[in-house]
Amino acid sequence: MTGLLELREKIKLIYSKNEVFIIPIAKFLLAFIVFNTINGQLGYMTKLDNIAIVLIVSLMCSFLPTGCILLLSVVFTMLHMYALSLEVAVVGLCVYLVMFLLFFRFSPKDSLVVVLTPLLCIFKVPYIIPVVMGLIGTPVAAVSVGCGVIVYYLLNVVAGSASTIGTMGEEEATAKIRMIVDGILDNKAMLVMVVAFAITVIVVYLIRRMSVDYSWTIAMVAGAIIDLVILLVGDLLYDTNISVINAILGSIAAVAAAKVIEFFRFCVDYSRTEKVQFEDDEYYYYVKAVPKMTVAVQTKTVKRINTQRKPAAAGGRNTAGTGGRSSTRSVVTEHTSVARGEGAYQRQRGQSSYGRKGEHANGGRSLTINGNMTEDNIEDFDDL
Amino acid sequence: MLNEERIILMTQMASYEENEGKKNVEIGNYFRSDYIAIQVLKSALSATIAFGIVFALFIFYDFENFMQDIYKMDLLDFARSVLIYYGVTVVIYSSLAYVICSYRYAKAKRSLKCYYHNLKKLNAMYNERQ
Repeated sequence: MTGLLELREKIKLIYSKNEVFIIPIAKFLLAFIVFNTINGQLGYMTKLDNIAIVLIVSLMCSFLPTGCILLLSVVFTMLHMYALSLEVAVVGLCVYLVMFLLFFRFSPKDSLVVVLTPLLCIFKVPYIIPVVMGLIGTPVAAVSVGCGVIVYYLLNVVAGSASTIGTMGEEEATAKIRMIVDGILDNKAMLVMVVAFAITVIVVYLIRRMSVDYSWTIAMVAGAIIDLVILLVGDLLYDTNISVINAILGSIAAVAAAKVIEFFRFCVDYSRTEKVQFEDDEYYYYVKAVPKMTVAVQTKTVKRINTQRKPAAAGGRNTAGTGGRSSTRSVVTEHTSVARGEGAYQRQRGQSSYGRKGEHANGGRSLTINGNMTEDNIEDFDDL
Repeated sequence: MLNEERIILMTQMASYEENEGKKNVEIGNYFRSDYIAIQVLKSALSATIAFGIVFALFIFYDFENFMQDIYKMDLLDFARSVLIYYGVTVVIYSSLAYVICSYRYAKAKRSLKCYYHNLKKLNAMYNERQ
């Protein structure tokens, strides 16, 4: 466990040092995968199904806010739908507008969820999203997850009806609209999925907020089971043709992903739980304090031992007793440390990143310089 | 001489202002009634547009039959039923918006209370120095 905790601290350190590069690269990769998947699923506009365009738009997304990935994804899907048929594009626009006006305006920060949910649905592992969002989000995330599922089924219906719509003439405009609207409204699988995911998000959120030991683990397992049960019951009631094996494997993957997130976000040591009780004029307080598990990253110490020769007197004269030269040995010690603390585990302090009195914080390095300071040592200090 | 405690407090407050505090400060500028009224009005407008979109889609869905029946049907009765649906949609959605906005306002105020407390503490630190 200590090794894992050390690895976590190292990952955190690498992330915090290179955040400026990691976030744009992650955004670029996500946008690239999303646009490529949209092109792969729909791809009716051949001009848009071009790697150069995908790369340029992905690069744009890398420095634009995260919400732009969602916006450009909507634009991509709308253009593909328009290339297929104007009526399909109108229905698509209506669905997006209704979702934006009624639901998405309450949780605009979850734009990433609306992008990730259909993406994971296409990769057959959508069960991760509700469990993870229940752990790191709020119950409002249920709305975003639901919107994401609807987007997936909209794209699915369009892709499924594309061949039929392609053979229809322009005079059958209402038939095209009817086909897409029926495909969405009569889709029981979508309804079951939206309900299952929404309930899972809320259940996971409620359990992980409870003041019981291992609440996060209980929440993720309970969420995965509830999700699975609702999907199976929905399958029995509405014959939604959900793959049971896929759902079980997906739920296991969801728990595994949630465990990784728990390790980074909520790694606590329940064996050292402290319960205290006190009172003031107005209230009695029953406080349960669970310490976080942290570990100090190994400290590297570099010692530089410089032996200098310096003339004792001007004009080459020697001072008595020094043998003609005075030799001064000075030591520059450089500590490279991230977390301070003794022992394997320590309580994480709120302000651990701030240096203590008497230390000079220098980009994560602290310098200790001995009293016997010479000119060369000062240069060393400046170089550092 | 740098005051470590003050720097820590100022960093915390700056971080709050940059992130979650941004929205809370914006909400905190309104009186409760004003904030909720604006949000409910926005919601009613959103619900109206969304209802319009869905209604248009409903008409186009069965456009041929609708055009055939338009001279036979009681238009007044049709308009009344549409208005009832519209009213129900707007009322339910606005009520939902009212509940959500009330909760958000209370949450933002609680959060800002802590922020203002820190501001006072910072002010006291400066006064102490003088």
